[in-house]
Amino acid sequence: MNIHNEEQEVATEPRFVIKPKDINDEISWAQINEDVLRSLERPRALYWVIFFASLGLFCWGVYCEIYQYNTGLGVAALNNPQVWGLYIATFIFWIGMSHSGTLLSAILLIMHADWRKPIYRFAEAMTTFSLMTAGLFVLVHLGRVWQFYYVVAYPSERWTWPNFSSPLVWDATAIGSYLTTSVIFLYFGMIPDLAICRDKATGVRRLFYRVLSVGWKGTDWQWANFRVTYLTLACLLIPLAVSVHSIVATDFAVSQQPGWHTTSFPPYFVAGALYSGCAAIITLFIILRYTFRFEQYMTIPILEKLCKLTFAISMVWTYLNMIEYAAVWYGTDPVAKQTLIFRATGTYAGWWWAMNILGSVVPFTLTFKALRTHIPTMMVVSLLLNLGMWIERFMIVTPTFAHGYYPWTWNDHWWPNWVQIGIIAGSFGWFTMLFMLFCKIFPSVSMYEVKEMVYHRSQARKGAALLAASAPQPAKS
Amino acid sequence: MSFDNLSSNWSKLRVKRPQPDQYKDAPYKWAMVIDLDACTGCNACTTACYAENNLPVVGKERFLAGQAMHWLRIERYWGEGEELTQEFPEQGAEFLPMMCQQCESAPCEIVCPVGATHHTPDGLNSQVYNRCIGSRYCSANCPYKVRYFNWFDYPTNAWPSPLEQQLNPDVTVRSKGVMEKCTFCVQRLTEAKSKARTEGRIVNDGEVLTACAQACPSSAIHFGNLADSSSKVAKMWNAQQVELSAYPQKKDEQREKDEQLGKNEEVVRGYRILEDLRTYPSVVYLERIRSAEV
Amino acid sequence: MSKKSYILALFNDFEAAARAIAALRESSLKGFKMRDVTLKSPIDHPECAAELGPRPVYIQIFSLIGALLGSSLGFLAISSAQANFLRQPRGGFPIVPVPPNMVITYELFILTAVFFTIISCYVVFTLHHQKNVLYNAAISVDKIGILVKAEPEAIAGLKDIFNRHHALEISEC
Repeated sequence: MNIHNEEQEVATEPRFVIKPKDINDEISWAQINEDVLRSLERPRALYWVIFFASLGLFCWGVYCEIYQYNTGLGVAALNNPQVWGLYIATFIFWIGMSHSGTLLSAILLIMHADWRKPIYRFAEAMTTFSLMTAGLFVLVHLGRVWQFYYVVAYPSERWTWPNFSSPLVWDATAIGSYLTTSVIFLYFGMIPDLAICRDKATGVRRLFYRVLSVGWKGTDWQWANFRVTYLTLACLLIPLAVSVHSIVATDFAVSQQPGWHTTSFPPYFVAGALYSGCAAIITLFIILRYTFRFEQYMTIPILEKLCKLTFAISMVWTYLNMIEYAAVWYGTDPVAKQTLIFRATGTYAGWWWAMNILGSVVPFTLTFKALRTHIPTMMVVSLLLNLGMWIERFMIVTPTFAHGYYPWTWNDHWWPNWVQIGIIAGSFGWFTMLFMLFCKIFPSVSMYEVKEMVYHRSQARKGAALLAASAPQPAKS
Repeated sequence: MSFDNLSSNWSKLRVKRPQPDQYKDAPYKWAMVIDLDACTGCNACTTACYAENNLPVVGKERFLAGQAMHWLRIERYWGEGEELTQEFPEQGAEFLPMMCQQCESAPCEIVCPVGATHHTPDGLNSQVYNRCIGSRYCSANCPYKVRYFNWFDYPTNAWPSPLEQQLNPDVTVRSKGVMEKCTFCVQRLTEAKSKARTEGRIVNDGEVLTACAQACPSSAIHFGNLADSSSKVAKMWNAQQVELSAYPQKKDEQREKDEQLGKNEEVVRGYRILEDLRTYPSVVYLERIRSAEV
Repeated sequence: MSKKSYILALFNDFEAAARAIAALRESSLKGFKMRDVTLKSPIDHPECAAELGPRPVYIQIFSLIGALLGSSLGFLAISSAQANFLRQPRGGFPIVPVPPNMVITYELFILTAVFFTIISCYVVFTLHHQKNVLYNAAISVDKIGILVKAEPEAIAGLKDIFNRHHALEISEC
């Protein structure tokens, strides 16, 4: 006899919990093709407005660089000891931003996190273009730009080679490798999508896609080789990405200057890179979602996951930041401690506090679901986080020059001038131009991977429903 | 061919510097001693350096902006360890001539991306102007900040005609975008070494002087060959108990021990600047002993 | 060798295609080999492709070769360059320092492994490439295709098998 005198209903919903839907798994594959290929159509007026604005910004940067090239780096307000200025800071910023694509494509690939599938394509594109933009700064900051090729290890009749002990040569090797590998990775992952474009395109564009898709027919041996190659490239790209920003960090870490000579710099830089990259992905996510009406693919649950990832990385960065301060504060080098105090209380103190607030406090907005799912807030937050990261790079470079070992050489009233700011603005214009061109020529959402995501999730859901249906029913009273 | 080089010379290629007695058998190791007690801050050395090495005078505006090109700078300090009553007191300045310290373990040499700077067999830090691409990493790494960058194209505007007639023909005029620094007047050294080699000997002590040592009216700057134990500079380094390849110096260790024991031994005046960074500089400064104010 | 014919059948989903492949494998029809049956699909489906039999992939061997070559040749190249007759001591460090050489060797090892991987994949694609073979644009949208290279006599039998398994469209040449 039943103790509770009530009818027990048969359970109608499945007994297994289904996760919140990252994507509607009932989208038809034909619909996916159509939605994404629509983004490659002739652009509207707003696109051209923004494109030409970016072009204008880039041309302004080019004008500043031509002036600097012809007259000398002195016009950029650089002096002794402030020899590096904003160029190196922004160079590191752009390299940092490039790590996001690798994180999303490669790291999440080997972790089988399939929520990356609708968003990794534009993230990889962002990686490639960030690296190209960073390369600009390597040239801009040189005193004799026209002889930049001395850094490359080419055989010359004078038997002179670059100095392989120099971190800048390691930079050149690492960034060259990373750029090459990123471009290869981006292109290779696009081959099945380029085949889709080829099948739908007409005229000259058809020839263009046919050449690029190297005879892709979706055959089983093509897929098998493709999968193995893609996975191998991802596994090779991850250590490369980690090493690239670590090497950029050694530009500072191998120097004995106060504020730089810290072994925590390589992981600190890598964490900062992942951080600014993730924030940039959120920004581009929101822009692309709105512009191309990708709401079905770049969904709010995926944005939430991105935000949670960004928050996790921001906490890693905060920890490494605090550790750097703690190591200096409790360490034995009085000069490094003085440089830290100068950072917090000297000429650049406002920027230092801004960096710490933007980098460590603002990410807490990502912990509130209401804010995380509110698109305008996330747009503003992601831009603020990136601003914080740019300031971080500035705070690494300038205060050490301002307050080094030799008091006679201190120069703490240095600020950049219009030439430096112009060139940096030009770099943003260059990046935006490249990215906009990419979005109109290549599909910015990976069609075949979204199909796979939809397929696997619908299979899983049907499987779960089948299991639930065949599970034993609870006993009736 | 290079691989053979590598395998047969492996142990020589792995040697760290500086080694003790590294210059024992070498003919030359150029070094300096600067007596801060004798220095009056007259700037004759700086002016001589400008004349000898074709340094451009950048003008007041660029000097204030920090873009000066003086390879040798006279630094002024007041009231060591005292509270100052005004920012620039009338009396009591101490002067310190600072130029490239020609460090044995130079932080600048290791970071140049194109290898425009390295250590010569006679112990100088060399700067190769035509290899330099102007990345300024060497200056970033220099703790003394004695490397100067050509921020502008001085050959075209620093010496309006007929001032270019006074340029020293033995020294390159540097274009924009290259790094330069004190070379211990390497052009004079090369000429002297060449003359001595023709006569089958090494350069005698006092036969060659840097421009600054030559111009100093109070003989505060002494220049010579540390590898020649009979030279004035070598004797002064010995008297000051400073060893080129040692850190910490034995006398500093001894002094610490003496202080701990409460003994107050006499301190020899010679020291090297920022020695704890292990740059092993080739310039010894003799501490000032006369009282600050007259 | 007599001229071969091709037949391409389109299916709606992987289950239907898998059943058709199983039927091909179990059929006693002469004139074609399982090796000449290929599956064309818009997405990768290793389980369905496994029905075709083992088709090993050798790309990673080339990655390994590339990695080993890159690391060894890289280190030797850099050390030899540093050790050439223009030996220039820098800082307090040896002329052939190990940590910087290791850093560059690491980068070159990854770069060479990547090059070997991608070149070997390109070579595999080129080797398998068959000109002007049947293809249907619906394969890049949402249909699954099975392509069989067979003797002309076997085409009719194959067509029969495909029709029994609800093929949407059959083309031949």
